[in-house]
Amino acid sequence: MSKEIIIIGGGQTAANASKTIKDSDKSYNLSIFSNEDYLPYERPPLSKQLLTSEKKIDDCLFYKEEFYNENNINFLPNTEVEKIDFKEKLIFTGDKNYSYNKLLIASGSKNRILNIEGLNQNEIFYLRNIDECKKIIDKVKKIKNILIVGGGFIGLEIASSMSKLEKNITLVESSAQLMGRIIPEEISRLVYEKHSQSGVKIFLNTSLKSARKKDQQYQINLSNNEKIEVDIIIVGIGALPNTDFLNSSDINIDNGVVTNEYCETSRDNVYAAGDVSNFFHPIYNSYMRLESWKHAQDHGINAGKNIINQKKNYEEIPWMWSDQYDLNLQLTGICNDYDQKVSRGNNLDEGIIFFFIKKNIIMGACGVSKGPKIGKDIRISGIKIKNQEIIDINKIIDKNIKLQKI
Amino acid sequence: MTDTNENWIYVCEADSIEVEDLKRFDHENDTYCIYRLEDGYYATDGNCTHEEFHLEDGLVMNGEIECPMHQGIFDIKSGKAKSPPACIDLKTYQVKVDDNKLYINL
Repeated sequence: MSKEIIIIGGGQTAANASKTIKDSDKSYNLSIFSNEDYLPYERPPLSKQLLTSEKKIDDCLFYKEEFYNENNINFLPNTEVEKIDFKEKLIFTGDKNYSYNKLLIASGSKNRILNIEGLNQNEIFYLRNIDECKKIIDKVKKIKNILIVGGGFIGLEIASSMSKLEKNITLVESSAQLMGRIIPEEISRLVYEKHSQSGVKIFLNTSLKSARKKDQQYQINLSNNEKIEVDIIIVGIGALPNTDFLNSSDINIDNGVVTNEYCETSRDNVYAAGDVSNFFHPIYNSYMRLESWKHAQDHGINAGKNIINQKKNYEEIPWMWSDQYDLNLQLTGICNDYDQKVSRGNNLDEGIIFFFIKKNIIMGACGVSKGPKIGKDIRISGIKIKNQEIIDINKIIDKNIKLQKI
Repeated sequence: MTDTNENWIYVCEADSIEVEDLKRFDHENDTYCIYRLEDGYYATDGNCTHEEFHLEDGLVMNGEIECPMHQGIFDIKSGKAKSPPACIDLKTYQVKVDDNKLYINL
């Protein structure tokens, strides 16, 4: 069997795919091409413990250098893939090219860019990798007033971390609610209150009209006619699949690299997984692209198995979490396709969960609690979704009945 | 004769833990989880080896405990890490039941 495997991307998906492959057979020649300077690392701490300097980079690596050495994994840092010739099975990086037998595209996602009238891009901060995190840490050491653009998970986690550092924080969100794309309104409101109590000034339905740099500060005009002065602008308005290097290649791309339930792309022996993949989900019978920690891990493991011919379909139920202050939010399944919405629990100490139900089957569940109190029920909900169980709604909403007993 | 390695500490009434469930137990500066499975009682360290979140709100299923925070999975009897992100095993402890009183050997 052909043994030359290349993984493009050096994140969580690459780490898990390479471990899966090497755990099965150490004799594969495996290379990881990363455009970063670091071994694969956990990204959740970027907006939390790394940003507050409670953790160091070394604490966040999936595997230490010894793992790559012992398994003879050729990790190439700072390597930007420019294009791929799928016919000749060649990858081009600058003046070099590499041939592969099997290829995994795990290039992740990139920041959605915000153009602000009056400012150059180099004045605006984003947060997706360690280098961007370091830049923010260096800057905020010297300043007090922070503007965060975007009320999604990243923007809110940055706000939570920065409030620990006792900064003055303003957050603007262009839609009518925080985390509006995926979180139910009731939970969004609880999170809004938590941020407000912690001193974060939030403007909903608001965007940036223009900005002007004056000395070391930025004078900002907001769409609600407020004027504010800040020392840094951090933008977190979502992500796009990282497929630029595939633009001139012949591979099916539609909101990411299109794959089937085996991580297979439209090209033979080419796989894609993680944020970059728009994959077919057999349980939901539709395509989806997920940007989450658990998916990056599990999809990487699945791709690893399929690459070495342990054919296995991917049918993991989506799951994600966010930590803000002492609150833990978790979401499983999909929460936008339902005929009934019911809740379980009524306080943050014990946890509040909303279930999104269609034809008496849970499609998705989203909850919030102080610490991970909701973790167990969210996990059980994920199992019920996967099994497509018909549920008794009256029991689901009764906090006195354990969910796993239903 | 007493084995000097034994240090049995009283935890709780054994039947206060349901089958396929667990109870948190704090002693001195350490914290533990005591599990009841179909075939008896077991104990491990209380915190997940991944990011030190307590396992008390985790799911006990098929002889495994799953961390409520990141879904790392451990085998309850052996403490073995079974699924990422958990990769370091949990320490396990002996437990015994005497007249419905449950003890842990620390």
